[in-house]
Amino acid sequence: MGLLTNLRDSISRVTDGLFAADEPKRIGIYGPPNAGKTTLANRIARDWTGDAVGPESHIPHETRRARRKEDVEIERNGRKVTIDIVDTPGVTTKVDYKEFLDHDMEKDDAVRRSREATEGVAEAMHWLREDVDGVIYVLDSTTDPFTQVNTMLIGIIESQDLPALILANKTDLEGSDVQQIANAFPQHETIPLSALEGDNMDEVYTKIAEYFG
Amino acid sequence: MPHQCTSCGRTFPDGSKEMLSGCPDCGGNKFQFKPAGATDDAPAGQTGPAADQTGPAADSSGSPGGASGSPADPADQSRPTPDEGSAPTADDGDAERRPSEPADATPTDPEANADAAAEPDGTEQIADRSDEDTAQASARSEVVSPDELDRASQDVEPSETPPAEAEPQPGIDALRDELNDQFESIRIVSPGQYELNLMELYDRQEYIISLQEDGRYVIEMPDAWGIQDE
Repeated sequence: MGLLTNLRDSISRVTDGLFAADEPKRIGIYGPPNAGKTTLANRIARDWTGDAVGPESHIPHETRRARRKEDVEIERNGRKVTIDIVDTPGVTTKVDYKEFLDHDMEKDDAVRRSREATEGVAEAMHWLREDVDGVIYVLDSTTDPFTQVNTMLIGIIESQDLPALILANKTDLEGSDVQQIANAFPQHETIPLSALEGDNMDEVYTKIAEYFG
Repeated sequence: MPHQCTSCGRTFPDGSKEMLSGCPDCGGNKFQFKPAGATDDAPAGQTGPAADQTGPAADSSGSPGGASGSPADPADQSRPTPDEGSAPTADDGDAERRPSEPADATPTDPEANADAAAEPDGTEQIADRSDEDTAQASARSEVVSPDELDRASQDVEPSETPPAEAEPQPGIDALRDELNDQFESIRIVSPGQYELNLMELYDRQEYIISLQEDGRYVIEMPDAWGIQDE
């Protein structure tokens, strides 16, 4: 199965490559919960299409279904790159409804949110396997990047040979440590930004065009 | 009369081989050791608890007795040693009496020095006769500390590795398989609490669309193209 699956993936990649000029690349925005993925997706979508992708929240697992914003045209240095942005649910190895109870949520709602978040992780992992051509990996630069989830996801992305851009988000917050993220994944370029404030988005767009164009 | 059967009270001289197969009179294999210099009143308080132990101990006396059943052969002296070692260990329960023993035992036997000097660790500073090996003497002489017991048990394991090592290999594999089986892509710890195996979620072709309260879940099957490939 694995061999044939790989074969199919390869064919899919080759096919995608053939139509690269026409078909927009699907860029998955991945990362742990509450890293600012949706904030970034909304920032990109608003900057280039005027629309938002989905609601943002400080409560983890606000995004529990992958949301796609298609045909986002990004112009950089006279070059136009069209991508589909897939904002994915935060990936984690444990989901516990109790963490939602701290956010003034009733137990029933917390349990439901927990279940949906778990489904969301499954969906995110599925998309990563089947349906993305590149990854924007968003990390909260105020938290420790050396986690099992980050290591595993970056490993999967590398094993798939997917182009990956690592973003150190939340540089507007005190305690932001971009270097720590750069140290954690030295094999990748780390771009600092604040998706919320729009800081350093120019460099982010330049890199998106460079990596996924 | 250093050795006394705790069951019937029969006494044996220090280093006696008679008791190696258990007490010839009653078959008991629990003995208390009282150095020659010790006073006679000590055993009085010990007979109670010691007698309690003789029941189960007597049951197990068969095999040690068999193993050491050739006292006439001097070359066999090394074999009774482990058995002899276990008997004093049982006596170690009398901790209140033991600590005073080495001091008493040391001067009792003038012949001790010769054998004790041969011991590299210098622990055999006690009575030791020519017809008694040093391990025997050591076992009688000191109370084994808990630390020593731990170390001894750890040391024993490596020496038994040939048979022991062959077993763990399939055991570990079986355990790993079992764990792999147990570790599903999504484990429901309790309602609202989930553990996810990301690699498993990533690897599987179908994907879980929705989880049900009762632990069931809905998956999206791979398309027909994928199924034919299976």
